[in-house]
Amino acid sequence: MKKTLLDLTVNGESRSFAVEGHRSLLDALREEGGLTGTKKGCDVGDCGACTVIVNGQPVNACLMLAIEAQGAEITTVEGLQASPDELHPLQEAFMEHGASQCGFCTPGILIMAKCLLDENPLPTDEEIRFGLSGNICRCTGYTKIFDAIRSAGKRMAQQGVEA
Amino acid sequence: MTKQDFRIVGKSVKRADVIEKVTGEGKYTGDYHLPGLLHGKIKRAEIAHARITRIDVSKALAYPGVKAVLTHHDVPKVLHYGSPHPRSASCTKDQYILEDKVRFWGEGVAAVAAVSEEIADEALDLIEVDYEPLPAVYDIDAAQAPGAPQIHEVGPGGNLVIPPVHIERGDVEKGFAEADLILEGEFEGGRPVPTYMEPNVCVADWDGSNKLTFWTSTQTSFMVRGALAEVLGLPLNKVRVLVDHMGGGFGAKQDLFQHEFLCALLARKCRRPVKMEFTRRETFIAGRSRHPFRMWLKQGFRKDGTLVARDMKVIYESGAYGSHSPGVTNVGTASATSLYRCENVRLDGRAVYTNTPIAGAYRGYGVVQTYFAIDIQMDEAAEKLGIDPAEMRLRNAVREGDIAPSGHPIVGRGLEACISHGIEAFGWQAKRGADRGVAGRPSVRRGWGIGCEMHGSSAYPGIKEQGNATVKMNEDGSVTLLTGAAGLGTGAHTALAQIVAEELGVTFESVHVVHGDTDVVPWDIGAFASHTTYLVGSAARMAAAELRERVLARGAEKLQEKVENLEMVDGIITARDKPGTSLTVHEAMGPSRGIPAEHLIASGSYMPTKSYSFAAHFVEVEVDTETGIIECRTVVPVHDVGKVIHPIAAQGQIEGGIQQGIGHTLTENYVIDRTNGRSLNAGLVDYKMPLSMDMPDIRTIILEAAPDPGGPWGAKGVGEDPIIAIGPAIANAVYDAIGVRFHHYPITPEDVLNGLRARKKELQDAGI
Repeated sequence: MKKTLLDLTVNGESRSFAVEGHRSLLDALREEGGLTGTKKGCDVGDCGACTVIVNGQPVNACLMLAIEAQGAEITTVEGLQASPDELHPLQEAFMEHGASQCGFCTPGILIMAKCLLDENPLPTDEEIRFGLSGNICRCTGYTKIFDAIRSAGKRMAQQGVEA
Repeated sequence: MTKQDFRIVGKSVKRADVIEKVTGEGKYTGDYHLPGLLHGKIKRAEIAHARITRIDVSKALAYPGVKAVLTHHDVPKVLHYGSPHPRSASCTKDQYILEDKVRFWGEGVAAVAAVSEEIADEALDLIEVDYEPLPAVYDIDAAQAPGAPQIHEVGPGGNLVIPPVHIERGDVEKGFAEADLILEGEFEGGRPVPTYMEPNVCVADWDGSNKLTFWTSTQTSFMVRGALAEVLGLPLNKVRVLVDHMGGGFGAKQDLFQHEFLCALLARKCRRPVKMEFTRRETFIAGRSRHPFRMWLKQGFRKDGTLVARDMKVIYESGAYGSHSPGVTNVGTASATSLYRCENVRLDGRAVYTNTPIAGAYRGYGVVQTYFAIDIQMDEAAEKLGIDPAEMRLRNAVREGDIAPSGHPIVGRGLEACISHGIEAFGWQAKRGADRGVAGRPSVRRGWGIGCEMHGSSAYPGIKEQGNATVKMNEDGSVTLLTGAAGLGTGAHTALAQIVAEELGVTFESVHVVHGDTDVVPWDIGAFASHTTYLVGSAARMAAAELRERVLARGAEKLQEKVENLEMVDGIITARDKPGTSLTVHEAMGPSRGIPAEHLIASGSYMPTKSYSFAAHFVEVEVDTETGIIECRTVVPVHDVGKVIHPIAAQGQIEGGIQQGIGHTLTENYVIDRTNGRSLNAGLVDYKMPLSMDMPDIRTIILEAAPDPGGPWGAKGVGEDPIIAIGPAIANAVYDAIGVRFHHYPITPEDVLNGLRARKKELQDAGI
């Protein structure tokens, strides 16, 4: 099948992938890009495990054709850290609060939480719940995820860190 | 249990595996990509019960990109287990990899390997299958009706998976004769599915020496190894099973799945690696659910609330294959000997085949069903006798010395502690006296309920378990723990590392856990039955204790001190009465003064019996009498798990179990069309789970009320407990809110509205 050359900026790095027209952005990132941190939980947009940031907006990567992302700036979970030695405050908080159990939903939820905090640095509990309404976690009962996001938001606001 | 100061156990250390989960670096089975990888797909029957009269794969084989197709003509004919526990007495061999018969809608009838998923999918449509339909049964009643079509040739007949389980203690008739109140009721429950986030996936690769390397998302890698070896006719050392990170399992990933055999066979045929990954839809159709059930329960009580007799018949619906039904039926039936103490019990448990998807192991394993019924009837009895429901449970709670379902005496008074503590923490008395109305929301009623549970850590006596651990101290004093226990997401590996570090006297950070490779790690029975911390934790502690002695002996030699005079804390060996005389484990292990460096290895094997954990859940619900919607607002779960190894991980188990339990009770039900066996809601939109907007305020309380001498420092299991008590607690709270009793789950808005209508009519008819 004919392939199209796709030029993207992924986690700050210019990448080119040759993809078939029907390939999802999720498959392109995982299979062509080797970025397997983004997970496939349903492939039909129901679970949020594949959430990535495309031009500043959270997107279910399984619902977007790769070629639709031509020229886009994309952030995946692998791009959350400012440097290899330094975790993002959300990553720190998820570890500290036990917000990740099996971890399969974690990359998508971290990305969603970053988008939430980018827009709203100190969200209320209701806003956190609403913000995560498209992300399924089956292990934690969400309690510790809420704790982690609340705590990361506070820490970032205090330190003036940009999400 | 001696009081001692813990340095690492009991602290919520950072889980070593979680850093890989938050950075995206952790490798799950689906993340592996091998050169030359092919993709496998399964052709699924669109009929529930039939004989295959013709299957033609010629067009599929000729399709460009297809490398192999397998049907029942091409695979080994070995009757095998669905739940392959070699140390278990209760397994059922009733499955072939592929057969000329279909027993449920969605069962695999052929498999394709191709160069891409799309081509494999397209090739499935080119496989032609002719079926001779057979009469089918889609529920417990139809399966048990006289003259019902028989689904299996093996087994005791009558569509029974195993002969009925019968347990009798005391004299039930005498008990009922002494009762002041006798209650009788029927209960039933739907088909919740575990819905782990990572769909089942495996990758198979054969090497030139005819050895199979098999990555798979499983809780029981050594069981997978055993079954693959048996069916493929290989010695165990020619099958290597690998699993690193797992995206959940909740019990259901301890079956041997059809796709796992097919993946290995396709890879062997193609001489190329093959990956098989379930779609989300397939996780429903070809995954494993909890057993739907029907139960009849009759209990007798004295005026003071004392339970004096229990008569019970429970039937579990196994679906098309036996899978875990022998275990579920035995465990579920035996569970009804206990929870509330009763000298006179008569219990009958059965599992029946139907032409529906397979029910398997799922967190709470047969006990969710029986305790749902028992705890609702306990509430009914309390009301009839005019006793507070929490007090009623306190009077009947099992305690020290009572005989547990396993036949062992109960240790401690854990259940009473949970109930008493919860009454205070929840403010039970004040709440039950409060107004059921909600200011400003006239259609909403509030209610408060309680549910209790107990659950065994380990599968003893059904399975004679064995936990193993190997601990090595390297030449630099760093420590490696080898364990076969799977890391399905609970944090068990962290708990094991904490146990080793504590016992050995080194820092938590100095212990590295190696797991998930059957060629390397000690044999393990699998991560299930709430037993990893209890069972493997004890083995790890034994190994660490032995290693400690040997490290101290080396330290003694180097320090020229007596071993008895040395202690080791945080990796530093010190002479007790000479603070200046010390050396690090690095120095102890390394070379000096003609003593060569050493690498020490110790192993522990532990064969447990059983311990029980306990819980009482207190809930507040709101029921909207106009929409029928039940909202769970607050849960105060009080658990006794013995010694807590990692508080945050233990809380996480409890909160996640409550999430699933709320779902089962209110919204989750995988529905099978009872006219043709088709799946009606195999997807995450139509199968409704509680998500972020639905979760109640959970205020988890963990007690260390009844430590068990069989676990490390008294630790017991926690994985399954939380999913059990929440169901009856919600059903009882709903009754408290609206006065309508439900004996089934899920309790849907439609059920609530119908129930309210029926109650209104009842009250009118009675002239109230």
